Amino acid sequence: MRPLAITGLGVCSPLGLGWDAFRAALAGPPGAAFTTTPTSFSAPAHPALRVAEIAHFDPRPIVGDKGLRNNDRLTRLLLVAARLGLEHAGVKRDGAFVAHGPADVGVCASTAYGSLEAIHELDAVARLEDPRYLNPARFPNTVINSSVGYVSIWEELRALNATVTNGPTGGLDAFDAASLWLDAGRAKAVLTGGAEAMSEGLWQAFRRLGALDERPEVWAPGDPRSRGLRLGEGACLMVLEDLAAARGRGATVHAEVVGYGAAFEPAEPSQPMVHVSAGALARAVQYALAGVDRARVSMAVSGLSGYGLLDGPERAAIAESLGEVPVRCPKAWMGETLGGAGAFGVAAAVGWLADGRAGDCAVVTSVGFYGNASALVVRRPE
Amino acid sequence: MTPRVLVTGMGVVSSVGLGRAAFWRSLVEGRSGTSAISSFDAARLGRTLAAEVQGFVAGDHLTATETKRAGRCAAFALAAARMAVRDAGLHDGALRSERASVVLGTTMGEADICGLLDGRWIVEGPDAMSPRVLPKYAPYLLSMETAQAFGCRGTVLTLPAACAAGNYAIGFASDLIRAGRADVVITGAAEMLQELQFAGFVRLGAVAPERCQPFDLDRQGLIVGEGAGVMVLESEEHAVRRGATALAEVGGYGLACDGFHITRPEPSGAGVIHALRDAIRRAGLTADEVDFINAHGTGTRANDAVESTAVRAVFGERRVPIASIKSLIGHCMGAASAIEAVSCVETINTGLYPPTVGYVTPDPECDVAVVANVAGRGRADVVVNHSLAFGGYDAVVLFAKPDRLPSPDARGALS
Repeated sequence: MRPLAITGLGVCSPLGLGWDAFRAALAGPPGAAFTTTPTSFSAPAHPALRVAEIAHFDPRPIVGDKGLRNNDRLTRLLLVAARLGLEHAGVKRDGAFVAHGPADVGVCASTAYGSLEAIHELDAVARLEDPRYLNPARFPNTVINSSVGYVSIWEELRALNATVTNGPTGGLDAFDAASLWLDAGRAKAVLTGGAEAMSEGLWQAFRRLGALDERPEVWAPGDPRSRGLRLGEGACLMVLEDLAAARGRGATVHAEVVGYGAAFEPAEPSQPMVHVSAGALARAVQYALAGVDRARVSMAVSGLSGYGLLDGPERAAIAESLGEVPVRCPKAWMGETLGGAGAFGVAAAVGWLADGRAGDCAVVTSVGFYGNASALVVRRPE
Repeated sequence: MTPRVLVTGMGVVSSVGLGRAAFWRSLVEGRSGTSAISSFDAARLGRTLAAEVQGFVAGDHLTATETKRAGRCAAFALAAARMAVRDAGLHDGALRSERASVVLGTTMGEADICGLLDGRWIVEGPDAMSPRVLPKYAPYLLSMETAQAFGCRGTVLTLPAACAAGNYAIGFASDLIRAGRADVVITGAAEMLQELQFAGFVRLGAVAPERCQPFDLDRQGLIVGEGAGVMVLESEEHAVRRGATALAEVGGYGLACDGFHITRPEPSGAGVIHALRDAIRRAGLTADEVDFINAHGTGTRANDAVESTAVRAVFGERRVPIASIKSLIGHCMGAASAIEAVSCVETINTGLYPPTVGYVTPDPECDVAVVANVAGRGRADVVVNHSLAFGGYDAVVLFAKPDRLPSPDARGALS
């Protein structure tokens, strides 16, 4: 993989809006973002009701209020992250391009489930009232790529626009797609990352699956006693550019992306389709490290979520592939953000590498629910 | 050396036939797949027709376990993939490799499962969502099911790019091969007809009452369709090594985004023009060398006018034959450009242009050379496949007769 530069980070998360707030929160203890009384939906008290959401989320201070009326929560999260990322990278200032131009900038972002909120809202109208009453202005929100499409509309981005969906690994897989498209000269900069929005549907689905943490006293990503995950939300979009070109325009390079790998292991005939593969992650890490000096790898930034079924194989693969490096768990701060998780993992790695105390090279890992796994290598700029 | 990317096998699930032979025969005979919707009651919506895949029995194509597990969208994808792999002459087990990948597109994936779960929740409460059914819903399951079925161990990815999803998937799959990351990729897209999505398109005013008439002055909209189109793409070296027959080469593709409106195309067609020119340029060709255009051609007023504007801007006075098979198979949403990619390759192999049926009155706003009502015949070495989509997506893939294009390295860019 040709090294790419991360020149800007747009973070819209329960840890705060903006890169500085996110980094500062990661320097503190985990856990502060979780609540048992979410504002994004109402549900009766339940032992599994503990989520990391952006309380009373209001995008207007960042993106203004014009045109937001029919956008769903996922779109709003992405719009905020995009605006913050473009400004942080010095691509835009006060909404206007100051580097590159509309035809040069694209966006590639992941979501695992799109807007379940929008689907549920319209389904309820169709089933309880009449499908003829569906609001056509809200219907596009049900289409998975709409939220990322709105980013291009709001920010006048005319190069490629792509959505990736691959469960928790999607946020890393988006970097691969963006990298191939940058290499092919399809854009000069690509807003890259992922997002997932909190909704009652998402929470109820994971609750019904028995995947949520109901024992807060032992919850910790990577802890074998921990039996469930906690859902989070947010959007994280990073401006990815060719490294030499970024330096050429005088951009601040916050980190370099130097390796990516993905692999899939089919379930054995006796296994259910839902399975996690340590072998797939070990191969993904191996591919990602091709051409990277392994001795420089100073930490793994994992996708460990507290759900033992997923955490066990991921821990095993990290140990097998990377040995005794420290393993960090951004989901202890953020919760499981699914389509956003890979991107938040990358952002956390950039933040931890930047303080200089965590070495200078991180492998970000993620496992999917169906045998897929991905890894990305990020290093401090040289 | 950058490898050529070859199409070596194809499979189709469509309203006009299962398998590439039946599908193609129906297209050239101008047989429409439109019929009264049978999977749900659409009477209240005032639109009752769709190009529904009728007579599809998942168990004819999937194992018993797969049939039990897969939603209709994944079943379409897997059935088409099995046809494509068989068509490519790949034996069982040939794709159990780290060098075999799956990249598929869709708009919504398992919309039936989502609708089922949501319906239970709305009517009976959240506890009615079955933990046995929940894992069957994810928009990316069609790719996972396909990789699982063939034992592919490389990259497995889903690109939900709405009505351009097929072209996005084929383009990205070709990138994986050109970048040396895969030898074989199963790629394409699948979509199923579902009540909420159908109602949404009706409420957008996009659905025609009786028929889809692309480029006609009196066109009234699209007919919603469903199905899957899947291709086996291989590096030339891999295909030659196993003695495979190349059906076509993936020459290049272009992507752009209008950044204008979530459902309406940008009136100047700038994005489509860019995507079309880029696909041609990356194939190492000029616009003069394109022989046939598979139009996005939805039959909606805005789409067909903008697409015609783009065609005139790129090809000038040259009247390149153009056809929209959406007049026959409906608009298969995420699957559309993948199914149409199969049609493009059939055009290259037969020299036949499928017809645009229902074309009666030319529209001055659509001043293009429509292949009207009956199939045409002509030069078909180089074919472009247009797709425009929700979100302002513009994606064009160029297919060419094998050995028609310069070598990828001579083209000077990762196409």
